[in-house]
Amino acid sequence: MVDQATTTDAFSVLESRGVSRRSFMKLCAGIAATAGLSQLAIPRIAEALEQSVIGATSGDLYPVIWIEGASCTGCTESFAQIDTPDVATVVLDVISLNYSETLSAAAGWSVEEAKAQTIEAGNYVLVYEGAVLEAWNGNALRVAGETGNEALAHAAASANAVMAVGSCAVNGGWCAAYPNPSKAMGVQMFLEKEGIDTPVINIPGCPVNPEWMMQVLVDVVMLKDPSLVKLNDFNEPSSLFDQTIHDNCPRRGHFENGEFVYEFGSEEEALGYCLYPVGCRGPQTKAMCPITRWNNRRSWCVEAGSPCIGCCEANPNDPGDNWVQVNTPFYNRFRDLRIGEFKFQPEPVAWVLTGIVAAALVVHGFGMKKTGRMDGGAPFEPIRKWDKEHPERSIGTYADPVTGGPVISEELTEENTHHPSAPADVMVANYEQEAGGEK
Amino acid sequence: MTRSIIDPITRIEGHLRVEMEVENGVVSDAWVSGGCFRGMELVVQDRTPEDAAQIVQRICGVCPVSHTHASSIAAEKAYGITISNNARIVRNLIEGAQFLHSHILWFYNLCALDYVNPLNALTADVADTYELAQTLGTSMNTDFGQLKEKLAKFAANGQLSIFSGNWFECDGGTGYKMTPEADLICTAHYLEALKMQAKASEIAALLGGKMPHVMTVLPGGTSFVPTEAKLDDLWAMANEIYDWVSTTMIPDTLAIASFYPEVANYGKGCGRYIAWGVFEGPDWPYGDDYTEQMINRYLPMAVLDEQLNVSNVQESLITEYMGHSWYEGDSTYQSPYFVTDPDFTEYNVEDRYTWVKCPAYDGKPMEAGGLSRVFAAYKRGVPFVKEQVDALLVKLGGKPGQVELLQNTLGRTAARQVETLYIAGLMKDWTLELMEAIKGGDSEYFRQPLTTTGEGTGFWEAPRGALYHAEKVTNRNVDGYQIIIPSTWNLAPMNADGVHGPMEQALIGAPVEDIEMPIHALRTVHSYDPCTACAVHITEPKTGKEFKTVTSPWGVK
Repeated sequence: MVDQATTTDAFSVLESRGVSRRSFMKLCAGIAATAGLSQLAIPRIAEALEQSVIGATSGDLYPVIWIEGASCTGCTESFAQIDTPDVATVVLDVISLNYSETLSAAAGWSVEEAKAQTIEAGNYVLVYEGAVLEAWNGNALRVAGETGNEALAHAAASANAVMAVGSCAVNGGWCAAYPNPSKAMGVQMFLEKEGIDTPVINIPGCPVNPEWMMQVLVDVVMLKDPSLVKLNDFNEPSSLFDQTIHDNCPRRGHFENGEFVYEFGSEEEALGYCLYPVGCRGPQTKAMCPITRWNNRRSWCVEAGSPCIGCCEANPNDPGDNWVQVNTPFYNRFRDLRIGEFKFQPEPVAWVLTGIVAAALVVHGFGMKKTGRMDGGAPFEPIRKWDKEHPERSIGTYADPVTGGPVISEELTEENTHHPSAPADVMVANYEQEAGGEK
Repeated sequence: MTRSIIDPITRIEGHLRVEMEVENGVVSDAWVSGGCFRGMELVVQDRTPEDAAQIVQRICGVCPVSHTHASSIAAEKAYGITISNNARIVRNLIEGAQFLHSHILWFYNLCALDYVNPLNALTADVADTYELAQTLGTSMNTDFGQLKEKLAKFAANGQLSIFSGNWFECDGGTGYKMTPEADLICTAHYLEALKMQAKASEIAALLGGKMPHVMTVLPGGTSFVPTEAKLDDLWAMANEIYDWVSTTMIPDTLAIASFYPEVANYGKGCGRYIAWGVFEGPDWPYGDDYTEQMINRYLPMAVLDEQLNVSNVQESLITEYMGHSWYEGDSTYQSPYFVTDPDFTEYNVEDRYTWVKCPAYDGKPMEAGGLSRVFAAYKRGVPFVKEQVDALLVKLGGKPGQVELLQNTLGRTAARQVETLYIAGLMKDWTLELMEAIKGGDSEYFRQPLTTTGEGTGFWEAPRGALYHAEKVTNRNVDGYQIIIPSTWNLAPMNADGVHGPMEQALIGAPVEDIEMPIHALRTVHSYDPCTACAVHITEPKTGKEFKTVTSPWGVK
């Protein structure tokens, strides 16, 4: 087959293109001399360039395979914005990014070969971006002659860990929003279905915040200890997803003061007031956006004047519980509720229900009046039944409508009625006496 | 006769496969297949236009601003409103930041590795490198000696990271032709570009909260209200990017071109071009005259025929055909709405072979993108573009006015650099314009809808080309949504008459020395800056029936 590598021997590939082994070694000597390296380094450079045709398998860098599933490439893009360390440092000094559809120099069979060899060698991390699609047996996404799901299952099975980056990878994201036409789901659910038990670390967000991703990469790759990543019930890093945006929001003070933005681009927005009335999902969305911020800490949604739309909301066990479904309409205070094709806002429904109940009470009142059951008002007890039965433990006070003083019934006397002002030790003593008496 | 296949095509957005028939070392037939279906229009159906504007940008992480922008324009047309002048400037700035980000990333980080071999830079002479940079007139912000040491250390480690499985030895080692010194300069700029594209995104984040997926472009204007501190940051960043682009991108393009003159010999697409126009013009607003609005954009709208004659877009001439794509039936539908039920069969170049539909304008395939926009601007007489393109033509060996010479892989690649420089300059102008407007007491950024039932079309441009969003709104509820994306035009499969799509046509005739590593084909594919992430999507089948009309209800506005 012409579209597949038939050999992994680089020299035979090079020789077939007219590059002899001798001239290759000479080239390498030239490289080593000008690079100021000793002659001992020559075989290593030769090896490196040799492996430029195939996937490299050993060295100081941690091998990473980055697969784009049903993605918009937004998470790769987001990752490419990081500055501490910048992305060049990451891919040259920290990880060996052996497969990336966006950044790899190679294309076609040779990049697939690089991936295959990395998988074979093991000890790598798989980064998966985008949703997993089940429609048409996975044919909604096809890469290199196989379905995207086959590629994911294959690469995930031998990985040390899978980082599911972005809300799509966590639970399908917007792709899974009603009516979920491509049958999208997240990586964790897919791997469970396939019986692959590689640990999954979920990092939601649309896109993923590169600082969050880097934090996990540092724990997993640089410190070589995935157990340093403390995860919550959704397998998200606890340090990133256990507090709400509202908890850390710089506009929180205005929320407390009742100072709100009621229209975009208004005078209140210029004053930096709270965006709660225009739908901000900060109070229910768990993420560290106000702390890490975005794009090299330049800004974040709320600072720029937009309410949070809850893009980090992603339940890995339920594609239906995705951020679009949970949070639309974004700029309303409440999400839409749906019954089949019919959707509605809870707020008007709440008003309607309140109205119905109020109307029913009014009608009920008229009925009571009409039937004569309301004559003279309802017969309230002058003293509560319990107080009557437990006079020594009663803390009730009863005002006499005539005298304005306490009501003294036949059972209640000044001595055994406890007013709120009665000393606590007397009440405790009485209680203990009563409890002892009952035994 | 033999087949050459590149699958996956890397350094693009999304998933793409190219299959070529090679005869006597030349591509004789080609099929381009886009590989992922997600169903965007179905998801925005029955939500508010504001939600739609936020959700649709998730169709593409590289050009999200253009999608939310086009969606907002469509909603504003449906709402019967025009945005305020300040909102126009803010939105132009966010869009411009994205174009700069996208073009810098595309040229250096996606496309350049087809020409530049960073591993060859290991043998560069550092002193000669400085001399060469001076001769080329390109920037020297990086310490070339230090970079060379860094590359040597990287190579000595034995892992090639993103260079694993590269094609640097293609065509018997003759595919990559630059000298080690030129490779070292361009590798330095490759790494600088990674930082500059992030800097450009920072402008989008400053005004839009975050990037990708900005938050403040929405129907009615923008929710961003500038403060003095933010304007100050904006001015500084716009200048920094302009300085880098003006001293680096055009000299590098000419330097690379001088090593690869043969790239100008192939890669002409269908020879017809569309640009819907981008960056709303200065004499805002233009009232109800949509055509006037599109012509007055900084990069104006135009439809260009084989002789590059200009005409105005007519919406009713846009159609889509499904016969070679994985959708039911083989009908041709007319804008704005049509029915497309997805239905995967099998990959078969004789029948159906892609998730991308086949759009046509006046029955013919059209090329979209930077080259189309530069042609449109040149023919509409935009002074900066005319001047720069003429200068470029002279440097490439042509004469001023011979724009047709740019119809090849090299021209398509170079045209985007002219555009990048133009936009980088405009960013500074717009920043000053916004400051002046605020000083003059203008403080309006957002307008409420005048009606919540209507229809609207957003003719706009993504960095990759002509972008079209159309929506029908009933009581602030989306009741039909349609998107035609630039890469859908460029990556189109064969039409009903068996005529190939633009990229397929561009591939046919490209030389192939090495069927395992067809580098000229890869260069041609990258010259389009393809983005399949957004090229594949469908319309709403449930409500589709009522839109199964063959005439546009609105015509051209």
